[in-house]
Amino acid sequence: MKRLVAIVEDEPAIRDNYAAGFTREGYAVRTYANRAQAMSAFAARLPDLAVIDISLEDEPEGGFELCRQLRALSAELPIIFLTARDSELDAVSGLRLGADDFLTKDLSLAHLIARVNALFRRVDALRRPDTPGEIVRRGALTLDAERMQAQWDGRVVLLSLTEFWIVHALARHPGHVRNRQQLMDAANVVLDDNTITSHVKRIRRKFQSVDPKFDAVQTVYGMGYRWVE
Amino acid sequence: MSLRLKLLLLGLATLVLPWGGCQYAREMESALREGEENSLQAVSQTIAASLQGRTDLLYREAPPPADAPEAPPDETSGHAFLQSGPYDLKPLALTAAPLLDGYSDDWPHDPSAWAYFARDDRHRFGILTGVYERMLYVLLEVRDEHPLFDAPGTNPLDPGTFGDRVWLGFQDSQGEERQVFLAATAPGAVTARRIETGEYGQQSAPLEPRIRGAWQPMSHGYRIELRAPLSMLGNGFGVLVDDRDGRGADPVSYGTLRSDDLHTLGRLIVAAPELTSYLAQFMQPGLKLAVSTPSGRVLARADALAQLTGLGAETPILARLYRRFVDRPGTRALLESSAPIYDRDHKTVIGELEVTQTANRWIRLRDHALMRMLNFSLSTSAVAVTLMFAFAAWLALRLSRLRQASESALTRSGLVTSFPETDSRDELGDVARGFSTLLQRLNEYTSYLRTLAGKLAHEIRTPLTIVRSSLDNLESEQVPPSARAYLERARQGSERLNAILIAMGAATRVEEAIGGAERVSFDLLPVLESAVAAYRGAFPERTFRAELPTEPVAVRGAPDLIVQMLDKLIDNAVDFSPAGALISVRLRLDAQAALIEVDNPGPALAAHVQGRLFESLWQSRAGPDSRPHFGLGLYIVRLIAEFHGGEATALNLPDGSGVRFVVRLAR
Repeated sequence: MKRLVAIVEDEPAIRDNYAAGFTREGYAVRTYANRAQAMSAFAARLPDLAVIDISLEDEPEGGFELCRQLRALSAELPIIFLTARDSELDAVSGLRLGADDFLTKDLSLAHLIARVNALFRRVDALRRPDTPGEIVRRGALTLDAERMQAQWDGRVVLLSLTEFWIVHALARHPGHVRNRQQLMDAANVVLDDNTITSHVKRIRRKFQSVDPKFDAVQTVYGMGYRWVE
Repeated sequence: MSLRLKLLLLGLATLVLPWGGCQYAREMESALREGEENSLQAVSQTIAASLQGRTDLLYREAPPPADAPEAPPDETSGHAFLQSGPYDLKPLALTAAPLLDGYSDDWPHDPSAWAYFARDDRHRFGILTGVYERMLYVLLEVRDEHPLFDAPGTNPLDPGTFGDRVWLGFQDSQGEERQVFLAATAPGAVTARRIETGEYGQQSAPLEPRIRGAWQPMSHGYRIELRAPLSMLGNGFGVLVDDRDGRGADPVSYGTLRSDDLHTLGRLIVAAPELTSYLAQFMQPGLKLAVSTPSGRVLARADALAQLTGLGAETPILARLYRRFVDRPGTRALLESSAPIYDRDHKTVIGELEVTQTANRWIRLRDHALMRMLNFSLSTSAVAVTLMFAFAAWLALRLSRLRQASESALTRSGLVTSFPETDSRDELGDVARGFSTLLQRLNEYTSYLRTLAGKLAHEIRTPLTIVRSSLDNLESEQVPPSARAYLERARQGSERLNAILIAMGAATRVEEAIGGAERVSFDLLPVLESAVAAYRGAFPERTFRAELPTEPVAVRGAPDLIVQMLDKLIDNAVDFSPAGALISVRLRLDAQAALIEVDNPGPALAAHVQGRLFESLWQSRAGPDSRPHFGLGLYIVRLIAEFHGGEATALNLPDGSGVRFVVRLAR
């Protein structure tokens, strides 16, 4: 049975293009132009994954509201925010609402599909708790690439998909400097420097909320970042 | 010319006030002088009228008896004293009594006043007469090759002892002829003697003590100086010299007396002593009165010119200073006026009255007024100039405040909330309000421009996403190989569009990053070191040199932002320098700040560029470039520098070889 991807996007051309891309990948796609349509459909049947635009028709922040309602319906449903807005504040509030990733629309379709695939892999992995995945251990850090889950000293650190991939790229080769481009490639995103910086900042903060002494992600000024054990 | 100087010059224009005052003072002076002259003329005419017909005073002519019938006008004789005979003597009006010492040095030096009488070459004498108060003074210089004194200790009537003698003959006040003679036995004082015939025919020569003098020898003769009271003397007067070559010898007699009976031949034309006292009653300080004959000889004078006029003592220094500016040369002369004195019938001029007045009287009046006026107007000018200067300074201060505010308002990115002078109610306040409004509009405009990039990026992103996602889908379709190239070009174009979008939003993202940045204390050295190392790898066509201090340099701020700022500076340095150029990154310290300097060789900055380099959406790139530029790079540098409590500046290197960017970071 095909997985059902719901796309909530008020711009018909983008909506149809994404739908075509996901269909080609073998997903079942439902598209909605506004929050009311989407919610009435979700009440009847939950999709397996939702890609939501933040501004929907006459609601500039309708995507956030939809995300909140959808999270209320299902805690595990992967949600990806896709927006033309790239403001830091939007990203923070989106992720705080429980979205799994926050992407800007300059992301290519291929990248988007790669993320969706990854999220489905994670859902699958989480459903098979007994099967150990590819585990990376670096000191206190444990990365489960299958479940896309990070642990520090055995405590789970909730990372968005992009953040996880950045940590993964850094921790796989400790001591090696990863420049921004490498991190973007690893995270399947196209971001500018400031966004990378704020991602890294968020990663540090998340780890520090678990361990205030966390200091493993080091900035190499002018070059990039590296993982220090 | 500064405003201060202009207003100062304007203030100096009030000096017209004292200048006008001086002009007025001159006018006043000439008016005063004219008035004084008129009144002086009136005075002189009045006095002259009071002297009309007073020949008794002027010439000691006996007044006609009151009861005498009106004498028919005697056309021939007329006023006899007006015609002078050859033997007439006209005494000078002396200003001081000569000392009777036989010397002429205390007499006025007036060759024309001398009268000379001669018998021949060897026998002649000169006579000078003068009147002072009630005395007649006579100076007699007799030429005599053999001056001879009387034999001493002998009877003056003994003819055998006679030396040179001088006879004075005169009519007394009753018209009787009288004679005295002067005989000296030695140089020195001499007293006249008169010859009296006693009851029995015997003669004696008693002294006449009222006529005294001194006898002194001189070269080729002798000099006799004597005086006689005018009261003794009538109209006739004469001198006869008996010149003897030996004692008792027959004399050579010559002079203005008849030699047989010693009666007078000439007259003494002299004013009555009362004339002087008559004139004195008109005297005032600073005035001089003089009565003279129609021919110009002074008969009598009363002089109080030197006396103070009572309008104050010596003029103060200030007044004298003022006078130097006001007086025209030659104006400070005496006032003179004259009036003729007529005879009783108002037909003949018998004399001339001259009245002289010192200029002091009106000049002091004028000085008094002038000084007060000049003091007043000069202090007015000084106050006006001072006030104007102060006003100008105040105005300049306000203007410079306004200028500073307008300059700093432009460089600040935030809204200009407090603009000076906007509360003033004058025109400057209007200007300030105008400025404030203008700047606020400018600010709205620039902030609109600043957000425009972000808004535009947002608006373009949706259609761009349509294009890109369509291209993504198209690649999965069966595209003939011939169309692949177009697909690829369309993709490249959309990638470039995307790059442009990212660049357009850069400043907004930096502002957001700054808004969310945390300040931490960190060492600048490793940040710069590693950044420069990174640039060496990123820009292999440039050489980088880091000039860093050895000690750690702690600053508070965000190292990420510092690196971003450095990125922009290096981008800029690379863009504007030729391949192979040496780019220096220097860290210097001064008392308050750490200075990051980036030098690059390349074209110098034009003067108009320097102030605007760090503004948003401003750029001065000449040639086209493959990368999109929105004039945000250096604006980001400025934002980050200001976040660190510093500033960014650009200057040309002293040798003109390139440009230096300096970022100050507060320590």
